[in-house]
Amino acid sequence: MADLSIAVRQIGDVAVLLPTGFINAHTVREFEEALEGLVRDGRYTILLNCKDLHYISSAGLGAIMGLIETVREHEGDILLSNLQENVFAIFDTLGFTQLYRVFHDEDQALAAAAPGRKG
Amino acid sequence: MAAKVDHAQFRLIIPSQTRYLNLVTGLAKRAAVAAGMDDATAAKVSIAVDEAVTNVILHAYHGEGDHSVELELRFTEQALEIHILHSGQGIRSDQMVLPDPKEYIKHPRKGGLGLLLMSRFMDEVQFKADEVSGRNECCLIKKIS
Repeated sequence: MADLSIAVRQIGDVAVLLPTGFINAHTVREFEEALEGLVRDGRYTILLNCKDLHYISSAGLGAIMGLIETVREHEGDILLSNLQENVFAIFDTLGFTQLYRVFHDEDQALAAAAPGRKG
Repeated sequence: MAAKVDHAQFRLIIPSQTRYLNLVTGLAKRAAVAAGMDDATAAKVSIAVDEAVTNVILHAYHGEGDHSVELELRFTEQALEIHILHSGQGIRSDQMVLPDPKEYIKHPRKGGLGLLLMSRFMDEVQFKADEVSGRNECCLIKKIS
């Protein structure tokens, strides 16, 4: 299995990013490029569905931090869902759960991102 | 008569390349479980080791991939010790400046979080220099509760 693969889906106004594997100093450039590509395309509301993310190091957190101001300046946001226990521990330990909206699952996150949307 | 060994230890030497991070963190996680820690604690140990080895590769060796990083794992009754040794640029414990998470959140920026994760997830983080060998060391200690 590759260390990291990333799938992207567009659901309404929300770009759903699904990283599978590990985000560390070795794979972070791929993750960063995926995020930067969305922002370049003007897709400023991004949901990171972390159900298949086994691990994220500070390199990956830095990639998210590097874009949070940009997306919010464009009235977008970066949301998180489906965090595994150890991934949640990393975000929570650093206080990031105060900075990002964290949801139990993707449907909850999509509902919060686009309250009027159905399905 | 052979000297009595009061703890088990072994070493792994890897090239200073990030492609081996996954191998090292997998080893650290399994070592923590073998030492008697639960899965959640073992995951934290593996993250701390990732951060420490990444620091060596990217900062001590400035990203140069033709050096060595040595990991020594020591199992004692009280703790798992992971010593990370290298010949690159070292830092001392008194130079370790941890960012304040509250300030970090107010002023987001890249970088600076690795040391914070290491210090939060381990019981002790020490930086040492061996003047005789010229090598530097980062020592991570997790007590077995």
